[in-house]
Order: sequence, then C-alpha cells, then structure tokens
Amino acid sequence: MTECDTTLVFEGRNVNCCAGDTVAAALVATGELSLRQSSCGERGVFCGIGVCQECRVTIDGRAGRLACMTTVQDGMRVERSPERAALVDDPAPPAVSNGGNFGCAEPQVLVVGGGPAGLIAAAVAAEFGADVVLLDERAAAGGQFFKQPSGASRRPAPLDRKFEDGRRLIERAQRSGAKLVPDAQVLGAFADNELLVNDGETTRVYRPQRLIIATGAYERTPPFPGWTLPGVMTVGAAQTLLRGYGVRPGKRILVAGNGPLNAQTAIELHKAGADVVAVLELAPAFGLRSVAPFMRMLLAEPGLAATGLRLLAQLRLAGVAVQPGSGIAAVESTEDGLRATFGRASTAGIEAQESVTVDSVCLGYGFLPNNELLRMLGCRHRYDASREQLVVERRDDCQTSVDGVFAVGDCCDLGGAVAALQEGVIAATSAVRSLGLQTPEEANKTTFPAQKRLARHRAFQSALWSAYAAPRYHTELATAETLVCRCENVMLQQLDDVLAQGLLSLPEIKRQTRLGMGACQGRNCTATALSRLAGEIDLRPDEYTFFAPRAPLKPVSIGDLVGGPEE
Amino acid sequence: MAAVTEQINTEFDTIVVGGGVVGLCATWFLAEEGAAVLCIDDGREAGSTANAGSLHVQMQSRMERMFPQYLADYLKTLSLYPQAVEFWIEIEKRLGQDIELSVGGGIMIAEDDKQRQRLERKCRLEQQHGVESELIGKADLLRMAPYLNKDVCGAVYCAKDGKVNPLLANAAIRRAALEHGGAIRSGVRVESIDRLHDGFVVKSTAGHFRTRHIMIAAGVGSGALVDNLGIRLPTTAEPLHMNITEFATPFMGHLLQHAESALTMKQLHNGQVVIGGGWPAQAAVAPDAPGIVLDSLLGNLGLAQHVVPGIRDLNIIRSWGGINTMLDLVSVLGEVETISGLYLAVPGDAGYTLGPYCARMVVDQMTGRTPDYPLAPFSVMRFAGTGS
Repeated sequence: MTECDTTLVFEGRNVNCCAGDTVAAALVATGELSLRQSSCGERGVFCGIGVCQECRVTIDGRAGRLACMTTVQDGMRVERSPERAALVDDPAPPAVSNGGNFGCAEPQVLVVGGGPAGLIAAAVAAEFGADVVLLDERAAAGGQFFKQPSGASRRPAPLDRKFEDGRRLIERAQRSGAKLVPDAQVLGAFADNELLVNDGETTRVYRPQRLIIATGAYERTPPFPGWTLPGVMTVGAAQTLLRGYGVRPGKRILVAGNGPLNAQTAIELHKAGADVVAVLELAPAFGLRSVAPFMRMLLAEPGLAATGLRLLAQLRLAGVAVQPGSGIAAVESTEDGLRATFGRASTAGIEAQESVTVDSVCLGYGFLPNNELLRMLGCRHRYDASREQLVVERRDDCQTSVDGVFAVGDCCDLGGAVAALQEGVIAATSAVRSLGLQTPEEANKTTFPAQKRLARHRAFQSALWSAYAAPRYHTELATAETLVCRCENVMLQQLDDVLAQGLLSLPEIKRQTRLGMGACQGRNCTATALSRLAGEIDLRPDEYTFFAPRAPLKPVSIGDLVGGPEE
Repeated sequence: MAAVTEQINTEFDTIVVGGGVVGLCATWFLAEEGAAVLCIDDGREAGSTANAGSLHVQMQSRMERMFPQYLADYLKTLSLYPQAVEFWIEIEKRLGQDIELSVGGGIMIAEDDKQRQRLERKCRLEQQHGVESELIGKADLLRMAPYLNKDVCGAVYCAKDGKVNPLLANAAIRRAALEHGGAIRSGVRVESIDRLHDGFVVKSTAGHFRTRHIMIAAGVGSGALVDNLGIRLPTTAEPLHMNITEFATPFMGHLLQHAESALTMKQLHNGQVVIGGGWPAQAAVAPDAPGIVLDSLLGNLGLAQHVVPGIRDLNIIRSWGGINTMLDLVSVLGEVETISGLYLAVPGDAGYTLGPYCARMVVDQMTGRTPDYPLAPFSVMRFAGTGS
C-alpha cells in the first residue's frame, strides 16, 4: 500500500522516503536524530510543530528551513545547517520593491489554524453561507489533535477513533465550501486586522470582515541538563512523527512529564512496536485523594472518563511501567544512546536515583497557548497566575476585546479538543450572525447545546487536572550550565548574573544575555526567565511583562516575504 | 509613599535623567570626576536600547529629502559627527573590552544619473563642512562591495562611517559608570523637577531626591521633563522600523545606504544583518512598544533585496520599532542660560553616533573645562517663543 519510492539526499547519502513525509520524518525514520550543529552542541527535532526552530536544515542550498514543516520532494538535497547561512551565489536581481502592493483577499470570515476549533468554525460559518478561508501552516489539516496520516505512511497506525473523527471533520469543512489553504504561515497582524500570510509561493494580505483565531498551543519544557540533545523531544513531536508519518523516534523510548497525553503517547508508541521503558509521571499515584476528581470526571464526561481508564488499563496490560511521583533529572549522550537519570519528584526537584539507556526521551510537561497572533492583534490578555501564562479575554461568544476578532480553542486557555470544538461552533455562529447571515433565534439554536457541552467539559478538565496535580518546575531541574535559551545558547548562570546586577526586567535580561532574541522569539525561554525574575522581585506580570510579539511571527526568508527575482 | 521617606534626604551633586547612551556616558564621566551622581531611567520610550548601532558620519539621504528647512543649520554641525566617531574609538579603548566597534567606512549608492548628481552635491557640501567623503565609480564600487546589485552606477564613500554593537556598548558603559561609583536606578520614572534656591528636587516613583545639578538626557522624553520649568524643548518621537536576519556568513563590512531611498544595512560581528533606514513604525503610548507598519516591513526588505540580491534566502527573524528623537536636526547641549544648574544633552540626529560625544561636552562644561565646540549654537533658547 505504501508508496515509499521517493529519495532525498542527506549529507550526500540517499535516504528513502515515503510520499508526504516531512524531511524530519524521513530522517528520523533512518535514525538521523542530529540535524544541526549549534555552537553549544548538536540539535534535532524538538517540538515537531514549527515552534522551536531547532530542526533547521539546509534544503537545496537554502539554510534555515525547518525539517519538521517541509514536505519531501524527490531528489531534495538536505544538509545539516551551518552556524551561519550563506548568501545566494550570483542571484538574479529582484524586482524593485512593491511594498504594500501585494495580492489581497477579503473573505467574510478568515479562520487561522486547522485544528479542531478552526475546522469546525470554518465549517459552521460556511454552512451558514459565509465566504470562508481557513489557513493552516501544515501540509494537511487536522492540527495537533487530529493529525492525519500522510499520503502513504509506513505502517498506517490502526485508524483509531481519533483519526476517524478528524477525517470526518476535515471532510465536513471541505464540503461546507470553506476554502482550505495549507502551508500558510501567518507572519503578522497589522492595523485594522490586516494579516500578512505566506503560503510558500506568494505573500498575500488578508482583510477579513471577521477573524477567528484558532492557533492552538505548544509545549512548555522546563530546562534540565541534556534537554537540548538530539533524541530528546516533546511527546507532541513524537506523536506527530508516529501518527502523521508512521515513524518511531527510536526503538527504546522513555516518556516523562505530567498528564494523560504522555500515557496516551506511550501506548501509541508501544502499539507501533517501540519498547517504552517507562512513563515517569510527576503526579503522585492515584489514591484516595483521586476519588473525588474521578467522580467529577465521570459525572461531567462519562465517555471521556471511561476512555481514560481504558488507556491506563491498556498500559498495564502492555507491561509499560507507569512510575507515579517520578521524573527525569538529566540526560547525557553516550556511545550506546541517551543515558537518562531519573527518580523521585518533589517540589524542590528530582532525585537522580536510577538510570536507563534509550534511543529517545519524550517529554510532556503541558502546554502554553500560542497567543502571539492574538497579542499582535491587540486583543487584551490577563495573566493566569496558576498556569503562569497570558489568557485572552473573551466574551461569551468567544469574541475578544477587538471587535470582530474571535479566539477559540487551546490558544486561549488550553481547554482541550472537546472545548475547542464547542468554542468553534459558538464563535462561528456569532460571526455569521453579526454578518447578518443568521437570525438571533437560529444562532441560539446552534449555540445553546455547544454552551452546555462546553460547561460540562470545563468541569471535566478541571477535575482531570486536579487528579494530575504535580510539582510545576521552572529552573529547579537546571544547573548553572544548563541552557535556558536554546536559540542563543544562554546558560542559567548568565541569566542569574544579570539579575545579580539588579537588572530586573525581561527586556534587560534580553539585552544583556540575548535570551529571547533568537529564531523562536522567546517561546522556549520566556517562562523560565520570568520565573527566575519572580524569585528576585514581587513580579505581577501583565501583557507588558512579556516580549512583544513582532513580525515575522516565525522566521521567513526575505525572498519569500517580498517576492522573488524579476521574471 | 514609603519610598518617599526612604529617599528624601539623599542628596547628589548631579542627577542624570535618562539611562540611554548619553545618560550612561555622562554618569560614567561625572563619577570618574568624583561627583556623587545618580542616573534615573524609566526603561520606556527607549532610543538607545532599541538602536541598531549605525555610526553615521556622512549625511544621511533623508536629511535633504525630508527636512530641507533644517538643512543649513544642520550642516553647520556636521563636523561633530567625525569627532563623535573618533570619540567612540576612545570610548572602546577606555572601556577595555570589545563592543564590536568597527569604523570600516560607509557607502551610499546611486542607481541612476539623477541620484549620482545628488551624491555629487552632497559630497561637495560635506567637504565644505568638515566631513571627508569621496565619489567612487561603478567599477571601484563593485570591487569594494561585490554583493551589490550590478545595476548600481556609483557611490559616495566615507571612511569614518562605522558600526557598534549597542547591546554590548550599553552594557559596558553601564558597568563603567557603576565601577566608578555612579548610581543607577532603572525602572524609576521622574514625575517632576522643581527648583530650589540652591538646586533641584526630583520627584520620582522611587522617592524624592535633592541635587545641585541636573542633566536631562532623556531623548524624546526630555521636552516634557523641562516643561514645568518654563523651558520649551519640542522633542518629538520618530518611530522607525528595523529588521534583523539570522546569522549569515560575513560579506558586508561597510555601512550601506541609498542615495534616494530609505535604507541602511550593516552586518554585525555575529553575522546578523540589520536592515533599516528610516521607514516609519507606528507610534504607541508607553508601555506599548512602537508597532510595525506593514508597508514598512515589505518596502524596507524589498528595497534591501533589490540592492543586495544575495540576501534573498536569509531568514528575517524579527522586526521592531525604535525611536529617533526629532528636533531641528541640531543637538541641544549645555547649561540652560536662564536656569543655573540645569543642563541639557539631547543629540540632534543619529543620537547613538553623537551620544557619548554630546555627554562629554556637557560634562566638560559642567566641570569647568572648555568643551571642544562652543555650546552657544546648541542652546535650547532657540526654541523659546516658537510654537506653543
């Protein structure tokens, strides 16, 4: 069934690929975990979703391309990216700038993000007759939750219920008449809700009448010794490799962190033939204190609660050891693979009690909302101290403080996929109603069940996380030499030196150490730096405490941004 | 309110308001003289901290293009710029550490005859006003800068143009100020300055301070600080757009500008290319930082790619807005004639280039030495009675 007759050339060596593979999937499938030499060691796939910028490779002579976001073309030449990118040799002179004179699209509704929230929002709005465009940065819609298998996966994982639900939702969005644009990167938001978008071929400006932001979340990982080594990656990255492309990130795998996604990924890896040596779970063993949360989960969402219990039973049956109250302390690179040290977890840190040698380590410590675009649009945010992140302010209909801009799904407050699906319905309904495409009565009919389900699901989520309550680490696991900023290779000690000088703000830390100045724009290091700062001063963060998001939201080549050579 | 009682009795020889390159240098120089000096900086509306580090000696093309009314007076101060770059060289020596200062020369390119003629005129003006620059033809230019679009037709070359890493420079100057005994309070906002019979009282968010002298080195914020003292200093913010690329192999040693369009380009030691040149950013009210204007992002980068086609595949990793302080292109320097003890130090244009030198001259006047230039032409009194 598989069509795996595509070839890319990596560092002069032919690598067999399957149609639809990303460069990252194809390379990891052949055991190539190290993709880049930084001045502080090698790097590989880390986030797997185009956020961390660690998997930069040179593709057909162009440096700084993301392996995890680039689909393989036959004959592609891929090399490890050098520390410094080369200029184009003897380039054709480009046309004189035509700044501002770009193609412009003015859909009634523009949805950004093709995960659960974005797909349902696009479908609902289009079904009510709106002219809808949905932009997604990956080659295939579905987002991180509904990741779909690529054209010809190696071992199509058994098409489980989630694949099926995702496929149905994507088909519904396609049938609805919404226009789905893949490989579309939103580079920035400007005055009057104008969005600059690059789809790999052209740059275009979108001026929608209504905007629904559904940009999801990315993973947060507290720094610890060895967290930058190739083969150490987020569970999201591992899951993308596996569910999207049928690629295991190694044979022997250690999973560590907090929350049900880790257990779920572990069972998926096990089913795909991996040897999951353990799941280290920071939360203590479920016991008496878990009874009340479990009851609340059962009452709110009996179906989901049952699925969760089934998952834990499957893990036990598979012989995968879940070790509650434990975590990973350090990873080092050895000749035999990655030696991970782990042990008992407490709020002070993790004891180094045992070690195990594995091919890869998958980390899942929870998520941060991908709210840079919302912040750039000027939507008001408040700081959630318990989760240590900015949360966009929304009205009941998911509209933000900026009229006509709606925010749905995990980019808001990490409510999970079920909440995202309800919010998508609610926002799309309100958007089409405000466009005059629907009467308030009709709108209420659509919205009412969604609001009810949303309330139930929020109760479920709150109970779920109280069952999984665990120490929340910032720099407790790091040593003075641990890198806290992966892009600019800033060690914890350098951060502390600045604080010791009395320079007590995030911008000062950035100027003095370059922390946050790199390609990921601070997505990996802001939380770490703020926690350290909070140890020095009575920090009451608000929107202005964080780095201001700036265009381009993700690195983009000048040629892609402003147009190529003269024809 | 607790902070007020904590600080009311603190008395200084000089309080410097503004912790950018001017204020930090002044704090360093005064502390070196043994003065009890405090620098107060509110960390907002920063010019120096968002600066890209160009050291401008030759006249920027925007001067003639945008401010013809100020040109005659500006030209009279042109010879300050080469002196200021010389002073940057001295600063680096005295700091004893690498601030990535490089005086590698700058080129301003022309793409057609009209632009070439403009450059010829500019070159003549510069020579008349104490700046050495020379016209170079296409062949020499392409030898000197092979990365340029082959359609260029010539340029002005100025050997004194340069660049410095402002992150390193600001940090090193700050350390020097502290090491010499200067005090720096960051994140503190001055709310008012009131005169006493023998000095001033500075009311701030960290309490009240008494001082004999005060130096206003607050860039665009300077005007508001002296307003209640009856001094008119019409500083306005000119938010400007800048971009920075990923690390690239070294290819560009010069500071590059364009004869007619808004463009500056230079490569930092780490390989990043900084692209700017005066495209507008969107003004914002603090604590909001200046916003990015779409046409500036696309226009600035489109022009850069046109002039240096080889940068096509370089990733842009960020754009941002910095703040240029606008007056009439002429610096405001020295003690205010009508208020003894009140000193102003606001560079006229290219504030980062002029910053240390301006601080030097005002400190010279304050400490009884003769500044390199008579400060009378830089008096703030020229604005008295103008506007409202």
